[in-house]
Amino acid sequence: MSIITQLLINGLIAGAIYALVASGFSLIYSVNKFVHFAHGATIAFSAYALYFLFSITGLNFWLSAILAVTFGALIGLGMNLIVYKELRKRKASSVILLIASFALLILLESLVLLYFGADVKTIGYINVAKGIEIFGAIITPLQIMIILVSLVLLVLLFLFMKKTKIGKAMRAVSDNKNVAEILGINSEKIYNWTFIIGSAIAGIAGVLIALEQNLEPTMGTGLIIKGFTAAIIGGIGSVPGAILGAFLLGFAENFGIWYLPSGYKDAIAFVLLFLFLLFRPNGILGIKKGGDK
Amino acid sequence: MIEAYFIHLLILIGIYIILAISLQLAMGFTGLINLGHIAFLGIGAYTSALLALAGWPFWIAFLLAGLIAAFFGFLLSIPTHKLKGDYLALATMGFSFVVYAILLNWTELTRGPLGIPGIPKPSLLGFSFSSNLSFLILTAVITLISYLIIKRLVTSPFGKVLESIRDDELASKTIGKNTFKSKAIALVVSAFFVGIAGSLYAHYITFIDPSSFTIIQLIPVLLIVIVGGLASLEGTIIATVVLVSIPEMLRFVGFPSSVIGPARQILYALILLLILIFKPKGFYGKVKL
Repeated sequence: MSIITQLLINGLIAGAIYALVASGFSLIYSVNKFVHFAHGATIAFSAYALYFLFSITGLNFWLSAILAVTFGALIGLGMNLIVYKELRKRKASSVILLIASFALLILLESLVLLYFGADVKTIGYINVAKGIEIFGAIITPLQIMIILVSLVLLVLLFLFMKKTKIGKAMRAVSDNKNVAEILGINSEKIYNWTFIIGSAIAGIAGVLIALEQNLEPTMGTGLIIKGFTAAIIGGIGSVPGAILGAFLLGFAENFGIWYLPSGYKDAIAFVLLFLFLLFRPNGILGIKKGGDK
Repeated sequence: MIEAYFIHLLILIGIYIILAISLQLAMGFTGLINLGHIAFLGIGAYTSALLALAGWPFWIAFLLAGLIAAFFGFLLSIPTHKLKGDYLALATMGFSFVVYAILLNWTELTRGPLGIPGIPKPSLLGFSFSSNLSFLILTAVITLISYLIIKRLVTSPFGKVLESIRDDELASKTIGKNTFKSKAIALVVSAFFVGIAGSLYAHYITFIDPSSFTIIQLIPVLLIVIVGGLASLEGTIIATVVLVSIPEMLRFVGFPSSVIGPARQILYALILLLILIFKPKGFYGKVKL
């Protein structure tokens, strides 16, 4: 019994983290219609920004966290303005944008590696707290916090997309860019906003992950593969789908290693990703990949 | 000293040429955006290394490396034959993750992250290619043969079928071409050559581990193909020589090796971004991606 609750809780924690990664990624995908792998680098940059500001410079924690999230949003916006916008101007295909995002991911990760070195870093803001016992399973206060922050953010994102003017414009551009432009929506401006908001969520993910796990220069690649897998499982281009996929992936990984050696944890995500791309590319929710051809 | 280094560089260039022209066959000529290319390199390298360590003669291990990689190329071609553009790119990338995860976790066979050390240098008919100069000659001969076969393939009528699939698959089907079979052949041949390149790599470096076959290692190959220009073999060869040599300059400027690794990645990623923005057809390319 306690093993099952523990696995459920572990799946929930992993799912909450993946949901933060996947929702921003999916938001950017649904509006911009290309795979923004460098989203992983945004997370890593925010995590390292927190490390730099809080652990090295010694700034106040909350100020450091806010700056790190802002920094993430700016990095995302910068990538859009410097690289993607230029490519769009030249009518680049989504494959070109995908390769460019990949190059950006490697570029940014290598910069982190060059500046901070390959060794693992820890923030150590929250002392290793004693876990709380729930039905025989252990969960730390930080992990509860991660799940709560994740849920609150996802609700806020949902409300933002439904209620605000920019959110509605985003959905319009996502649905049909040409019609949206005819109605007076500036699609380039909306692209910028998706990068700012998507990357800010990535920044928050980066801060939370930095508190929970160790920092490594390549952490972004690992995370974006998980976020991307979650998005594909749930139905790429749908933010709720990505969140559903994220929790499913979290559970699948944690229950999977009940049967398999723990080294296969990442392999579970890879195999799910491959199978979904081949046999159910529209994901569980079956949302058609909109906008192209 | 300089001479030995130069030979080392030429061997690397030879291996990269095989890697790049085989990707060119799939991506440039047939339009298959195969981001799983590097997985075939791993399959070839591990096949050859494990067989050679089990006492098999080099040339059998070498050919089997190509054949087994080709077999996986065939397996990959079946489920992916309907996918196009970025979805094909993503599915093949997923394939490379799966292969990486297997290399890392099937420790009974591959020793996992520890890698496989002590891979013997190749020997043929009693002659051992243990010196780097003799290995260079072997590499050069294999590179030349690979180039001639791929050149022959793409200039043949079959090559025209492949290009017609790249430009308009539906039209190609309409005039009665079996596009599924043609794409499968292109991928199988491409995988075969990557497999033998993997064998050369394994027997040259004499140590392999899964980290040499990640998607990050694909960036230089992808860069070479795009800089050289899609569907241009000559452009690819020039691009290989230039792009493999450039980061080596960093070594001569005297950067420590902890800087050279990331600096090399930064350089490649930057060149790739600039090329995509300002010269998406590459230098000798005929078609756009």
